[in-house]
Amino acid sequence: MATKETIRLESEHVDDQLDTTVLEELVRGEEVTATPLWKIRLRLFRRSFSQNWGLFKESKMGMVGLVIIAIFGLMAVAHPILMNTVWDPLVYHPVTGYDSVVTEYTIVEDGAVVDPLTELELSEARFELNPSVKVGELVRIPSQPAPPSLSGEHPHFLGTDPLGRDIFSQLLYGSRAAFLLGFVAALTTVFIATTVGSIAAYYGGAIDGFFMRFADLILLMPLLPLLIVLSAAVRINMVMLGVFIGILSGFGAEAIVLKSQALSIRVKSYIDAARVAGGGDRHIIFRHIVPNVLPLSFLYMMFGITGAITLEATLSFFGLLNVPMSWGIMINTASTQGYLLSGTNYWWLLFPAGLAVSFLAFGFFIVGRGMDEVINPRLRAR
Amino acid sequence: MIKFLSFRLVQMFILFVVFLSIVWLLLQAMPGDISDTLIGSPEIPLATRLELRARLGLDQPLFVQYWTYITNFFKGEMGVSFSRYPKDVSTVLFEALPRTIVLFLSATVLAFWMGFKSGKLIAWGRGGKTEQVFIVGGVFLQTVFYAWFAIVMLWVFGFYFGWFPIGRFISVALWQGSGFDATDVFEEMILSVFIVTVIYGVVRYFIRRYSQNLVTEQRMLRGTLALAVSGLFLYWYLDPARTYVADIAHHTMLPVITLGLVAFGATMLITRSAMLETLGEDYILTARAKGLSDRVIRDRHAARNAMLPVTTSFVLALSFVIGGGIVTETIFSWPGMGLLFLQGIGVSDIPLVAGALAITGVLALFGHLIADILYTVLDPRIRLT
Amino acid sequence: MALSLENLQTRQIDPNKPLLEIDDLVMRYKIKAGEVSAVEGVTFTIHQGEAVGLVGESGCGKTSTALALLRLLPANAEYFSGEIRLNGEDLLQLSTDQMRARRWKDIAMVFQGAMNAWNPVYRIGDQIREVLDTHYRGELDVDEQDRHMESLFTAVGLPTEMIIRYPHEFSGGMRQRAVIAMALACSPELIIADEPTTALDVIVQDQILKELKRIQRDLGMSILYISHDIAVIAEVTDSLGVMYAGKLVEYGPTAEVFARPRHPYSYLLLRSTPSITGPRRQLAPLEGEPPDLLHPPSGCRFHPRCPFATEKCAIEEPPLDEIAPGHRVACWNHEDVPELAEELRR
Repeated sequence: MATKETIRLESEHVDDQLDTTVLEELVRGEEVTATPLWKIRLRLFRRSFSQNWGLFKESKMGMVGLVIIAIFGLMAVAHPILMNTVWDPLVYHPVTGYDSVVTEYTIVEDGAVVDPLTELELSEARFELNPSVKVGELVRIPSQPAPPSLSGEHPHFLGTDPLGRDIFSQLLYGSRAAFLLGFVAALTTVFIATTVGSIAAYYGGAIDGFFMRFADLILLMPLLPLLIVLSAAVRINMVMLGVFIGILSGFGAEAIVLKSQALSIRVKSYIDAARVAGGGDRHIIFRHIVPNVLPLSFLYMMFGITGAITLEATLSFFGLLNVPMSWGIMINTASTQGYLLSGTNYWWLLFPAGLAVSFLAFGFFIVGRGMDEVINPRLRAR
Repeated sequence: MIKFLSFRLVQMFILFVVFLSIVWLLLQAMPGDISDTLIGSPEIPLATRLELRARLGLDQPLFVQYWTYITNFFKGEMGVSFSRYPKDVSTVLFEALPRTIVLFLSATVLAFWMGFKSGKLIAWGRGGKTEQVFIVGGVFLQTVFYAWFAIVMLWVFGFYFGWFPIGRFISVALWQGSGFDATDVFEEMILSVFIVTVIYGVVRYFIRRYSQNLVTEQRMLRGTLALAVSGLFLYWYLDPARTYVADIAHHTMLPVITLGLVAFGATMLITRSAMLETLGEDYILTARAKGLSDRVIRDRHAARNAMLPVTTSFVLALSFVIGGGIVTETIFSWPGMGLLFLQGIGVSDIPLVAGALAITGVLALFGHLIADILYTVLDPRIRLT
Repeated sequence: MALSLENLQTRQIDPNKPLLEIDDLVMRYKIKAGEVSAVEGVTFTIHQGEAVGLVGESGCGKTSTALALLRLLPANAEYFSGEIRLNGEDLLQLSTDQMRARRWKDIAMVFQGAMNAWNPVYRIGDQIREVLDTHYRGELDVDEQDRHMESLFTAVGLPTEMIIRYPHEFSGGMRQRAVIAMALACSPELIIADEPTTALDVIVQDQILKELKRIQRDLGMSILYISHDIAVIAEVTDSLGVMYAGKLVEYGPTAEVFARPRHPYSYLLLRSTPSITGPRRQLAPLEGEPPDLLHPPSGCRFHPRCPFATEKCAIEEPPLDEIAPGHRVACWNHEDVPELAEELRR
């Protein structure tokens, strides 16, 4: 809560960190209103933000990444909207929906199948339907997974999976899951890494040593196998996974990097000034060191999200997560139903999901690189 | 140096014990145990299952189990594999270990070599279409969903083009009745490559040391390399097992390429950044002023310094490659430690899983150590005192 | 061919013969926002055995000029016009390979912040050896190279045991000496010393300068000193050039320019440091900031800051004219400068 104070300042006590407007008022010998601190902070923040945004805009990579993320964001938002309006949940629900797509087949002689999507062998037709069908007949068989179709009562833009569920719906839902996971993981990582790094840098000595040894231990542990073991021990859902990934990454490499950054800030003179002015340890850490470490933290947050999304997809692919639906699960379904090496015949089972994971990860990564150019002026193109 | 090493080894030992303990405890948290796999079979009475548990020591209190495990481990016994009873864990794992290491090492070496070379070249080239393509390609490889990528690679090159076999270590049909054992042949292959590499390395060192002339030095180095490679080929060509060796080699290629491609992307990007930073240094300007050729400046001065941050990133990349290895082994059905690990998890074969993780931990620790030593070799400003 | 410092001493120098002639050099940098006019029509000559100094503020173009001599400018720099003649041969017309052969062998450079001129991962000796390998390929065997390096080290006052050490094992001053040693390695005709004493403490500064002066005299080399520190320049140079905003505004024998600076900028520059000896004078401050070279001022580039500027100064650029033997100034009001300066002091 800010209070406005009117201060009469004498010329000898001019503090040259004040606004120039204040200085002018001082010179004129007038009364001066001190702007509340939070307002100054906000103004500075907004100014630096727009400055950095301008720089970021210059980076082609960063902007492309932002567009990609926006597209996926739209997908995530679109899903509940579609589910509640246009789509019939019985058909389109990503987990429980079911649509028996009926495909028309022309029956051909055994061994004369040219296009397996529209022609059916005689013996197989007899097995599926009834023994009296003949060559040349047109039969309709409900089949999953069905290829994409835009027509009919329930259009499936990307077809259905082996269990009859709409792929497009799953894709959109997976977007939500990915964002949720990504942010939980990244925020946890950043929170822990920033705190750890700042504290270690500030206190130094034994505390620093302890955190660094701990980070070494974490670095030693390969993330995927550990998560696999974890998921076997505990039933993990999205949020838990995010937190786990966050904890494991937060104490590791990122802490080390952020610590060096915090160290370089700690040795700056304004920290000493703050200490002399009577700032306590906690105050210095949280008011001075952390805000200056944050830009780097955000940078790593982007990379963290990339890693988390891929990690979850891999774990889901192995079927180790207690998650109802995600992109990884989509591929897992394709795999367990035996469509893994189907290639282009059933492309909609593998490619949308795989490409989605790759593209979203790609998007966050290049946004990170774009941010890198803002934070590290050396990388900028002149 | 000795002091550093011994101190470091003690550190590693402690870290390892902590790691192993944590892993083991985590594994205990897995619900159920091996005897549950028998539940599905109604003919097996409860008493049998209980006896199985007793025999495997699963009915003992937790602390006793832990202590037994740790003490046995350092006696060299990793216990008996529950799922492959009565084979013990060491046998099972050490059979699979060389395969995993070959996959690992080949992919890493390939990725590092190509990644460093290309990163160096595009950083030097200063912009243009090629650089953009490489950067985008590199980022794509680094962020692509690896499991999916491996599946696609397998399908495209194994299934569709048919250039490579579809996973697995050997074409079983080929080997039946041949009288050769896959593991033995494989070990022989590894040994031969290892010996040739060591000899090559030594010869290379001596050439560098005692060369007077840059031109003859290059020629001699290239000649020795050609000699080494052709010598290796000749040796195997004359060996009666050559078709089987070729079979193994053929199976190894696609998994190595797949894993290597992804690591390549990352290495290339890091090399490029490191090079760009190095190129801004003063000594590069000095090198230009000295009238040195572009190639010398790029390789001898810039790239050599760029190697330092790349080596650091190596350590971090180790964790990724291990994870990547597991996925690769799964999709390509490559019978290495990663596959065993996953299978062990599936059936709660705790000793097997613990053993696999333990070996992984040891490898990671030593990899870390080697990277640190390498770093001091590369940077004279850092000495291990 | 035996290479040794003794050889260099027998170099015959004729102080009247020009070694390096910079003729109306124009050089600009291309950046996103446009063109930066960095060097605009600079003309002067360095004679054999002569020590010439270039002074000016940061960004005035003196370092760009120096780099231009070796064609070491970054990729976005363009040589618009002019000639740089070394012993009559225009360096700007040479092919890249030809130029590379001349680098270090004919013109060597001692860099600004020479501490970082060394690659940290190689030994100092190996980096010097590199130059010998490049320029004397096949002519020197390893032992001859070693002996040459030892004599170089001795010449700059460094212990020869340090040849096999790494750069981080040298102190700042020692690294600077080592840089000079390397510069001498191919017995060049001209050494460019860009801020050779920045970042050194005054005692070491003094030593280095004395060293350079001695070497220059003993070996009959020409040196081009670039500095913003007038005291340094005054001590070691025979001729002096003052640069401002990419233009050469005054040039002449050092003693002459110091005693009678005729360009307002030189005047203010030389009078901006108080002298311990000599009469107490009012300091004449230089107000304002260096101009933006992307959009340089019209007419004389100094006119916005010049206390003596007249109307003509804003419209027409003054040419660099000779006002006394060997002394050139580019100012419309150069005759009035001493008078105007007196007024300023009052």
